Amino acid sequence: MALDFTLGEEQDFFRQTVRDTVNRLIMPRVVELDEKEEFPWDLWKEFAALGYLGLRHEEKYGGMATDTISQMIFYEELARGSCGFAMSVIMQILMGTYFVARFGNEEIKQRILVPAIKGEKIGTICFTEDQSGSDLGGTRTLAAKVDGGWRINGRKQWITNGPIAEFCTVMATVDPKLGLKGLNFYLVERKTDKRDGFVSGQKLHKLGSRCSVTGELVFDNVFVPDENFLGEEVGKGVQYAGEILNEVRVMTAMNALAISKGAMDDAKEYAKNRIAFGNPISKYQLIREKFAKYWAWYEASWNYAYKCAWMIQNKIPCSNECMMAKYHATEMCMYAVEEAMRIYGGNAFCSEYPPQRYWRDAKFLLYGGGTHEVLCDYLGRMFCKD
Amino acid sequence: MEIYVLVKQVPDPEAIVKVKSDTELEIENKYFTSFFDEIAVEAGLKLKEKFGGKVTVLTVDNRRVDALRRGISMGAEEAVQVTDPAIEGSDPFSIARALAAYLKDKPFDLILAGRQAMDDDAGIVGPAVAEALGIPHVNSIVGIEVDDPKKEVKVTREVENGKEILSVSLPALFTCQKGLNTPRIPQVMNVMKAMKAQIKKVDLAALGLSSSDVGSSSARVKVQTYLPPPKRPPVKMIKEDFPENVKRLVKLLREEAKII
Repeated sequence: MALDFTLGEEQDFFRQTVRDTVNRLIMPRVVELDEKEEFPWDLWKEFAALGYLGLRHEEKYGGMATDTISQMIFYEELARGSCGFAMSVIMQILMGTYFVARFGNEEIKQRILVPAIKGEKIGTICFTEDQSGSDLGGTRTLAAKVDGGWRINGRKQWITNGPIAEFCTVMATVDPKLGLKGLNFYLVERKTDKRDGFVSGQKLHKLGSRCSVTGELVFDNVFVPDENFLGEEVGKGVQYAGEILNEVRVMTAMNALAISKGAMDDAKEYAKNRIAFGNPISKYQLIREKFAKYWAWYEASWNYAYKCAWMIQNKIPCSNECMMAKYHATEMCMYAVEEAMRIYGGNAFCSEYPPQRYWRDAKFLLYGGGTHEVLCDYLGRMFCKD
Repeated sequence: MEIYVLVKQVPDPEAIVKVKSDTELEIENKYFTSFFDEIAVEAGLKLKEKFGGKVTVLTVDNRRVDALRRGISMGAEEAVQVTDPAIEGSDPFSIARALAAYLKDKPFDLILAGRQAMDDDAGIVGPAVAEALGIPHVNSIVGIEVDDPKKEVKVTREVENGKEILSVSLPALFTCQKGLNTPRIPQVMNVMKAMKAQIKKVDLAALGLSSSDVGSSSARVKVQTYLPPPKRPPVKMIKEDFPENVKRLVKLLREEAKII
């Protein structure tokens, strides 16, 4: 009797509301967002004014403190509109502000978190470097203890929102030889005339998710005071990162579900209207097989991803499950966008038709939250463990 | 101002609708608030913001009604659902009778509704409620100006080649047309509030009505038959080469399609 797969009246209503918001604000601009490759400040301000940036945070800082399942519903519906814009918004809601909210003192929360929830200050998190990403133990950005604070030196790459960020949570090591045990998080603000901080490096031109600006951040002997150390103990950074990794992976699964659904819904309409040999191509068995495989795979992914969201919400340990949810949904999405390209035939190769956009957007999901090679290596090891 | 807004939940335009039997439709479980009703809610909220008071959204429906939660998420204070097994099969006049029975003792200044629902496009309920309550009504307004102290309203309607401005004394009922406003997108704080809101439910007995006043037995308008749109005829391929294919096409257009 305990097994119940219904989302419930309240969550259905929440999904419907978010869907309507996305339909009105994002859907008419999908092509423009992809083609311009610029951060959509007007859209950002609208979503901030509607209060969505505070979805995850405490009410006393202007947030809504919603449950995990509602957050996942929001991520899924937002990515249905624009995967790129979703990347920027989710970075602000989840990774970009989590450690500030978790470890920042009251002054930091008022100065950073409150304006972040209002959308006035954009934040990000910095893990990746030229030789480390999924391999966090290879982090080389150095944090040296000095009187009253820390000095940080290094370069971070592939930073979502990086070129426009006002603050970042940066992972740095106290000693590269310590590997994972040397890692910590530090709050660093953008350099100004009055303040030491990071500067932007190169902005990347990406294959997909193009309206989310991504780039390099440079930390050149940046001083941050002791209160900007985000943690309770030195060397616990990886443990702290683990607190949100499950959410990050299920969130990535939500993006995959959304992109695949968009690609296949469009492909279905195309197949019903494209006539070949006297019939709509949706009547041919080889085309139908693509939809059948996708549908079965999608339903399994959707249910498993929401089961993981439910486990996170109920504080049930689910690290392996969340890895599998991310892996399963993303591989399903790769199948969907590839097959959508085939259903459109030669038209898929033309930018006037949508499957190429879904295909380009989807590829990003292979890397965030751990590459599938790294995840599979780990999961295989766990499966074979005695 | 005490403002009531009549709302209806209608099938989402993306919902799959099939003809199940002569008098029954099978509708996919995807519903949303009728577009014109959202315009009415927005109009009510704007007046409340200007003059104070309260906006209540009201519907007659036995299903789960997200349209009421939608009204609260936009900013309405209260939501009321008239619900009773006996209302099944009601025509627009029966629905209006139930709504009027609820409203007749309420101290309302203004009742707003969409100009028509987006499912049956009947446009009857709003005016019928006004008639039942014995108050003036104007349909399809695109402008509204309230003189609160005088309890008078100037409303604008679009007419052939121009506009018509009418003055009406309150209380009154207006149905709202596209162009009156753009319905607001709900703030997430209000969405959360709406998710937890208590919907006040009222049955027929509480309204002093019986099953003979509503439902299929009292319906003056009855659906005789639902007919699905005709299916697209099969594609006919012309296999001959030029110029025979053109001759054949012209022949088909003339003799079979009969369009030239």
